[in-house]
Amino acid sequence: MLLKLQKKTLIKSQIIGYAFTLLIGMSILLTVFQLYIDVNPLLTEQTDIFKKQSAIISKKISLFKTLNKEKIYFKEKEIEELKKLDFIENVSVFQNTNFKVQAFTSGSSNFPMFQTDLFFESIPDIYLDINPEEWKWNASENFIPIIIPENYLNLYNFGFAESQGLPVLSKNTISNLTFNLQITGNYTSQNFKSRIVGFSSKINSILVPNDFLIWANKKFSDSNNSNKINRVLLEFNKPADEQILNFFKSKDYEINKEKLEFSKLFFFFKSAIIFVFIISLIIVILSIAFIFLSLNLIIQRNKEMLLNLANIGYTYQQIAKFYQIMISVVTVFVLFFAGILSTTFRNMYLVKISELLNFKRQENFIFIGMFLVLILLLGIYNTIIIRKIKKVV
Amino acid sequence: MQIELKNIKPQYMSEAEVKASDIYLQKSVVFEKRKKYLIKANSGNGKTSILNFIYGSNLKFDGEIFYNKERKEKEVFTYRKEHISYVFQDFKLFPSLTLLENIQLKNRLTNYKTEEEIIALINRVQLGEKKNDLLEKFSLGQKQRVAIIRALCQPFDFLLLDEPFSHLDNENIEILISILKEELEKQQASLLMTSLGTVSCFEFDRVLNL
Repeated sequence: MLLKLQKKTLIKSQIIGYAFTLLIGMSILLTVFQLYIDVNPLLTEQTDIFKKQSAIISKKISLFKTLNKEKIYFKEKEIEELKKLDFIENVSVFQNTNFKVQAFTSGSSNFPMFQTDLFFESIPDIYLDINPEEWKWNASENFIPIIIPENYLNLYNFGFAESQGLPVLSKNTISNLTFNLQITGNYTSQNFKSRIVGFSSKINSILVPNDFLIWANKKFSDSNNSNKINRVLLEFNKPADEQILNFFKSKDYEINKEKLEFSKLFFFFKSAIIFVFIISLIIVILSIAFIFLSLNLIIQRNKEMLLNLANIGYTYQQIAKFYQIMISVVTVFVLFFAGILSTTFRNMYLVKISELLNFKRQENFIFIGMFLVLILLLGIYNTIIIRKIKKVV
Repeated sequence: MQIELKNIKPQYMSEAEVKASDIYLQKSVVFEKRKKYLIKANSGNGKTSILNFIYGSNLKFDGEIFYNKERKEKEVFTYRKEHISYVFQDFKLFPSLTLLENIQLKNRLTNYKTEEEIIALINRVQLGEKKNDLLEKFSLGQKQRVAIIRALCQPFDFLLLDEPFSHLDNENIEILISILKEELEKQQASLLMTSLGTVSCFEFDRVLNL
């Protein structure tokens, strides 16, 4: 009887409106929440694609600095400052050549005839992304291994060789070619044998073993021409930290942008997720406000009936029960449906991500999230409905 | 159970307005068990108010009301369910429910009468034919009969009747009086009835002028 009486007080269109907005809001909220959980480790942790992210920084070269070259070098203080940043794990400086290097082939060599000026740089081996067998230098031997950037080879094969009608070279072919190096400086000169022993995708420079360069700098450079640091290799412990980009921007350091594209990408991804999360949260809050407005309207319209029920002996708890159950049932149903929808969306995006990347599937938190929101909403609704009815009767 | 009123006065009335009252602003007015009281007054003198104060549905009064010599405002609601039944002047029925449903709505709460007893009462007040009709179609006199039957569907020590026969013909008044007398006897209960003038339907133990 009470049910029949109270059922008539409901405004169906408003209940449907509430259910619909809550469904949309919660589906987006849960999907975005799960998407963040799924993709976050991919971008922040040590997974294949972003493992040990590093970047090389230098100072921006402007017209002013062209005239005063001292400005492009890092000072000791600046290096120390970099070391102190929490998102930086390691700072390593490049050793430069302070002498003249020429590479050339002799007539007997299996290499096409050439002669060119070169430069070398070096960094400690632990920062290299490759570790070729021949990457050793021994003072007693006359051999210097060289690592070149992988993109130099691409530049040659797809650019230079193409335009000059030269043959393309594989990594293997290049690694088999031996050429000569002549190092000149400090009034002395020495010839070495050399070969390209590896290709780095991380460091964009012509590298020789660190030990060699230290030795050679001592031997061939003028004593007053000490090692000046113009490039610094940084390793990040939190490569996705948005502070990275902000810091370098504020310092006006040039950073190998491509290397940090993911950082921007993650920043945008995170911003987009937060934005969508907030929007969906607003939708959910609006739907809650909507049902409260509807409830207020029901109470105002049926105030006399509710009062009469109280007058014939019904307690405010008994009167409120119908509205509590009705809103609770609608909410449970909608949230459960939102959970199913979100799981469906998740399965769809997981298929897409799996096609593109190799990643470990995270646990499904959609239903846990749904359950927590449900408990929160039911708590709020039941308390407020009881209070409102009590106030009226 | 007894009900005692001490220095009761509606907040909306001045002292001058209630000067001649046998109830308002009296040091003590006691309503005892198994007695019948008639509260008589002209319109606008607070007849409904005094019943509402006792029933606990209006608390805008000065003074105190004691139930069994205790004053427990918070428990007024339980008295309402178990000790005091009230036939409201405006009936407080539900027009969207049928006659039978209106009565069952109350009886489901108390489980005091069986369905057969309820139907027997409906038949006695000559509304048997209409028991499944929506109340919105009923005349005032018919509604009054329904309201009285509904009030009997609970245990009570006091039955409050607020001008209960104002829309009824003599035949129906007699039927209702006999029903009410039986119920009062059965429940060993008291009667508090308001009226515009003197009525002789019950043998009142005391007539109070408001």
